[in-house]
Amino acid sequence: MVKLNEMIIEAKKYIESNLVDIPDIGMILGSGLGVLGDEATNKNVIDYSNIPNFPVSTIEGHKGRFIFGEIANRKVAIMQGRFHYYEGYSMKEVVFPIWVMRALGIKKLIVTNAAGGVNTDFVPGDLMLINDHINFMGQNPLIGSNLHDFGTRFPDMSNAYSSSMRDIAKKASADLNIQLKEGVYVSMTGPAYETPAEIKMARILGADAVGMSTVPEVIAANHAGMDVIGISCITNMAAGVLDKPLSHDEVIRTADEVKDKFIKLVMAIIKRM
Amino acid sequence: MNYIGKIDKAYNYIKRMIPQRPQIGIVLGTGLGTLANCIENQIIIDYKDIPEFPVSTVVGHEGRLIYGDLEGKKVLAMQGRFHYYEGYTMKEVTLPIRVMKKLGIYMLLLSNACGGLNTAFSAGDIMIIRDHINLMGDNPLLGANLSEFGPRFPDMSQVYDSELIQLCNNVGSKLNIKLHKGVYTAISGPYYLSKAELRMLILMGSDTVGMSTVPEAIVARHCGIKTIGLSCITDMALPDTLVPPSHEEVVRVAELTKPHFVNLVKEFIKEVKLGENL
Repeated sequence: MVKLNEMIIEAKKYIESNLVDIPDIGMILGSGLGVLGDEATNKNVIDYSNIPNFPVSTIEGHKGRFIFGEIANRKVAIMQGRFHYYEGYSMKEVVFPIWVMRALGIKKLIVTNAAGGVNTDFVPGDLMLINDHINFMGQNPLIGSNLHDFGTRFPDMSNAYSSSMRDIAKKASADLNIQLKEGVYVSMTGPAYETPAEIKMARILGADAVGMSTVPEVIAANHAGMDVIGISCITNMAAGVLDKPLSHDEVIRTADEVKDKFIKLVMAIIKRM
Repeated sequence: MNYIGKIDKAYNYIKRMIPQRPQIGIVLGTGLGTLANCIENQIIIDYKDIPEFPVSTVVGHEGRLIYGDLEGKKVLAMQGRFHYYEGYTMKEVTLPIRVMKKLGIYMLLLSNACGGLNTAFSAGDIMIIRDHINLMGDNPLLGANLSEFGPRFPDMSQVYDSELIQLCNNVGSKLNIKLHKGVYTAISGPYYLSKAELRMLILMGSDTVGMSTVPEAIVARHCGIKTIGLSCITDMALPDTLVPPSHEEVVRVAELTKPHFVNLVKEFIKEVKLGENL
């Protein structure tokens, strides 16, 4: 069996051989938010399916490719499509791209997602800066032998969403006059949406938004010493907040409606990083 | 064999064994298997004879399907279910629900024995499940979606059908059976929770705690089967006055609750209307 470390290096080498410049900012674009990839210039697209050892994304609205290019004069690696635990991937597969990005030399990560609003002060269309998370997935990407090349056995998570990076995001939103909420993101496995009782529980536990991604990647990124910014697009109110069923169509529709605001904010953040 | 293939194989076997489409599926919890005795014109199918069906191992679970007539409805009852704590995967635990869907059932009645966390409850009471919290750390829908059964991201805002809850409530009043309504929290088990864990569950909004039902309910919701859940509270799991329950005690209280449970379910099934929209 090939060691995880070697699999990461193999993927990294393939990408490197296809790149002129090594990016310094990594980005993961969540459901319906992939459009940001279109803003990049001097694009070099690499499909996940061509990268050795990479899993392949299957979900609607996720394209499954890396876009290397420039945004706001910064070299970025944009993941258009991510690997979700609910698709049946192991946690190691879910965070494999994080390790590859880190191996490429990327030290800053912007993670985005579509999330349900748990905090009743939120409305669909709000953007929320993640200031902390709760891992409710019953799993963890760091279980198993430690990847010493990346980080320590017992990594600190007390500043998982770097406070200096959060300040940058807050300044960018203030300058643009874009309202940016702030709060705690709780990740659940999905793929079923949560029940109203589960959302009430999440609220009691201190969550402001709920989703099915991001937390594994942020744990791996922190382990590997990366600075993280997380932004949730509140695409719908979570179960039980409104008297109506949840639908993936609504998630995609809201993400589409806020994309201009979202793109402006992320570009402004990149400029200030 | 892939999962769909397994479902089909079990379905084909059962379909050959029964004369008509069953209308209602019933899953009988620990100690509640005797409801099956009320089913007339029984056709009994042992799980061990059904291709690709797991086999139940726990005491008090008999491990067979009973098809027949109950209060004028065609029912298919599971006497014994597959628990996650026995080591089955979530896909195995919920395989019978997929098979029931293929057999054409309109409605599913899930029952269980559970611990009470709400101080207004007592051992021996019955609770209609209004909603659930999945704390099992696993989910039967993980992996590729079975799109012939339901959507990738199914809504869970009303897992337990509100009209069925209302009907069951009315039946309880009519029969003078005390019924509670509340939130059932599923844990993996097999051990009973610590006091600190029970306190946490209460804080999270749980009224009862048990080791089953939620996987089956999630899958039933995914494939659009109207579901009702009944919990028989066999012991109170209040952290400050906790007396550790034995499995024998759980079975004993379930015995006492049984007549109420049986009467409630029979009358409910008699009154439930199975139209095109159910």
